[in-house]
Amino acid sequence: MRLLHLYVIAVFVVVASCTIDKTDYEAEISTETTEYIDFKEVTSITSGDYTISIEALNGSLYKGYNEIHLKITNTQANGDLENSEVTFLPIMTDVNGNKVSCPHEYNLPYDATEEYYKGYAVFTDESDSTVSWQLYIGFVDNDQSYMIDHTITVEEQTNLNLNMTAFTGNDNEQYFIALISPQSPSVAENDLVAGIYKYNPPTDPAGTFPDPSQFSYSIVQNHTLLLDPRMPEPSMGNHSSPNNVDLTQQSDGLYHGVVNYTMTGNWTLNFILQDEDGQTIKGTEVSTEFTPGIEGEKSELYIDILF
Amino acid sequence: MKRIILAIFLLGLFANAQNTPIKKDTLNVALDEVIVIAAKKKKIETEMKMAVSVDEFLASSDNISFIKRGAYAWEPLLNNMSTERSTVTIDGMHIFGACTDKMDPVTSYVESNNLSDIDIKSGQEGSMHGATVAGSINLKRKSTSFGLNKKWNGGYQTGYEFNNDQFFNLGKLSYSGDKLVVDGSVSYRRAQNYTDGNNDEVEHSQYKKFNASLGVAYKTSPLSSVRVDAIFDKAKDVGYPALPMDLSLSRALITSVAYKRFYEDGPIKVWDTKIYFNAIEHYMDDTTRPENLVHMDMPGWSTTYGLVSKVNFKKDDYASEVQLNAYNNLSIAEMRMYPQDRSERTMFAYSWPWVTTSYAGLSMSNSLDVSNISQLNFGGTLGLNYNYSKYVEFNWIFHPGAPQKKTRFLPNIYASYQLNMSGFDFSVGGGYGHRAPSVSEGYGYYIYNSFDRYDYIGDPDLKNEVSYEVNASAGFKNKRASIQAKANYFYIQDYIIGRILSTGSPMNYQSVGVKGYTSLDHATLFNFSLNGSYAILQDLHWKGSLTYARGLDENKNNLPFIRPLSYQTSLHFSYGKFGFLTSLNGDLKQVDYSPEYGEDETPAYTNWNVSADYTFHIKDHKTVLQVGAENIFNTYYSTYADWGNIPRMGRNVFTSLKIDL
Repeated sequence: MRLLHLYVIAVFVVVASCTIDKTDYEAEISTETTEYIDFKEVTSITSGDYTISIEALNGSLYKGYNEIHLKITNTQANGDLENSEVTFLPIMTDVNGNKVSCPHEYNLPYDATEEYYKGYAVFTDESDSTVSWQLYIGFVDNDQSYMIDHTITVEEQTNLNLNMTAFTGNDNEQYFIALISPQSPSVAENDLVAGIYKYNPPTDPAGTFPDPSQFSYSIVQNHTLLLDPRMPEPSMGNHSSPNNVDLTQQSDGLYHGVVNYTMTGNWTLNFILQDEDGQTIKGTEVSTEFTPGIEGEKSELYIDILF
Repeated sequence: MKRIILAIFLLGLFANAQNTPIKKDTLNVALDEVIVIAAKKKKIETEMKMAVSVDEFLASSDNISFIKRGAYAWEPLLNNMSTERSTVTIDGMHIFGACTDKMDPVTSYVESNNLSDIDIKSGQEGSMHGATVAGSINLKRKSTSFGLNKKWNGGYQTGYEFNNDQFFNLGKLSYSGDKLVVDGSVSYRRAQNYTDGNNDEVEHSQYKKFNASLGVAYKTSPLSSVRVDAIFDKAKDVGYPALPMDLSLSRALITSVAYKRFYEDGPIKVWDTKIYFNAIEHYMDDTTRPENLVHMDMPGWSTTYGLVSKVNFKKDDYASEVQLNAYNNLSIAEMRMYPQDRSERTMFAYSWPWVTTSYAGLSMSNSLDVSNISQLNFGGTLGLNYNYSKYVEFNWIFHPGAPQKKTRFLPNIYASYQLNMSGFDFSVGGGYGHRAPSVSEGYGYYIYNSFDRYDYIGDPDLKNEVSYEVNASAGFKNKRASIQAKANYFYIQDYIIGRILSTGSPMNYQSVGVKGYTSLDHATLFNFSLNGSYAILQDLHWKGSLTYARGLDENKNNLPFIRPLSYQTSLHFSYGKFGFLTSLNGDLKQVDYSPEYGEDETPAYTNWNVSADYTFHIKDHKTVLQVGAENIFNTYYSTYADWGNIPRMGRNVFTSLKIDL
């Protein structure tokens, strides 16, 4: 029996003394990516009798896609304003004073179960000394319209898996693609979700500012986003992965597909955006050759990610 | 899972109970006698060289050939089949290498001075220790018996080989008391790069290896004993000229506790139970290869614990062994690539995504003396194999939806009939058996194979490989001469091999594509060997052997790593205290090579070797001095199984000295 004890101790000592530690995989894939799970208040605006609370993931607004929850409280009546006609318009003022918007949902529907107005905004730039973002929120209570504006801060998106790109298509229209999911990819099959939007140029001259018809964006319908993920690092020789699925639009308006990442690191999602007739709007096919030592070629349309 | 294992165990007990005859056996066996008989084993040395490595010793067997990636850690092929198809055990203990590139076969973790014998069983007869197709290689450890007249025994061996500046020291010591036995051994080998037949240095072929073992046995009663064993092995700075990376460190700890009990009466003779644990670490290193485009770390770990329990029965003409085998292995291998700009994020993946293999099997082997001249051997195993891949998402990339857990039943059966009469012996046999895919075949992920330069992907859904086997042998022996011919034929259904995957894109920069392990409908393998010996004079002996093998896939294309016609012939002459040996060995041209699997035609070669030894006594200690040379003509050659056609060693003069203490 004593022999057995000695044996167990000896085994334990040797096993505990591995020279190289095993990688903690869960920690490994979470080091580069910050996951945003909880909705927190970004800001709260008080105007007259009303308080507007804006919530977003992590309590911040970032460049790229942001889901936005909005609550309006009548402080006098001490109650939430439900089923109002709420409008939401982000406006960016650049260094020259030009005012533009970004893809957003203008009319925010009310979610009765969650008790908030739900929308999104795809901010195209970060706030800095020359770029400022202003929110224009309109609502109706007791047949009276209110309009409140408030300056917000758009922060840099450090998680490249929520990266975005803006481009002009071959049809001279302005398009936006923003990654929404996965926030923290794995070396696995990942469901890839992206929003695809376009700018609708105004047909009428501008009315009083802010005139929503001058800042109109819409979800691109029934297009296809062809996907070819590759590792651009020269030593990876244009490495790719199998079994990827191109992104197509689902009932939630977003585009869904599958991307397989074969290892962690830098990946480029090479895209080709095609309309419902299969006409290419933007993007080029990339070489499928394995070319060690040469930096991988990218499509005209791509988004870099990292995990 | 546990329940099923328990069920098999109970079933085993029940089966045993049925086999127990009621009649009392009067045969009286004392423990000491049995151990002495068991201790009478062959030494680990070849006729050519008395100080051999385990690899060199195995190479002297007919049905073993080797894949060589350098001067160290050769991968033994049994019946021309790779290590996935055979079970390699140490005293019945399962051990699995921790290297995805098979740079550390189990045989690399032992040393010749802690082994007493190597037991090679061909085909299904080897299924005693676990499911197999090719057979089994069981490395038997030294164990001194209790109560020897000479209490202290020891030996020391040293030697030097000129070609690769190899220097080795092997020492062993044992104590044999009435109640206590201790066996210990220590060895150290180091070698520099070797030079080939053109006198060019083969870079990255050096190695250093340290091995120590300790065994302590204690007699708990006149008929029972407990034995604790441990082997520690450490190899450092091992070069693999045929691979794009070397080994910085591999370590193995192999431990066991065994309880053995003898029975004086009744048909049960011995009951031997052992629990074991072994842990292997293997760290590859490519910092010695500045030409590599990408720096990569590839550490691997393999941890196994298990149980072997066997009972031997004997009753009149019938002898039987029943063995319960259970083990659990966890294999982990990582790869991390560093971009050229080191500030960038490293790239990480598992090449073995924490794969657990649990196996439980109950085996039985029986021999029945049908008459004075004939014997029937038969047996079988029923095994249960369970795999679990912790990070199954890696496997899903190529096999979406593949199961994370997989349970397989692995039956193996065999039978053979032997006939011995007036110097002639004949045998015929057959077998049927399944084997489960190995960790790499089932769950491997971008395992780079530098032989065909493909990255390999495992498939968790592979079917069991099913082998149908027939074998036969015929021989004749008298006082002066012996001759024996052996042949076997395997028809292997769902033969597992790598096939090019069009969807994959290589990950390792040296590779040209991706191959997935898939099942061929079937493959066939034929092995033949012919051995002869003749005593020309009383002190002049001749020995020779010839082997031939052929392996074909379902389309009658050649399988890879099948040895071409090979021969070996040697002449031994002893004169007083001197012994002389000369031998020729070689392969013919490899005609039936397989370009599909990265092989090219390997030309024929012949090696001529000589050695001389002198036996004398220093005081009372028997001492043998040996001097010899291998590849005397300094032939430049590489064999069919030399990874990347790396050249073999050129002329090598070796010396060694052995003293028995």
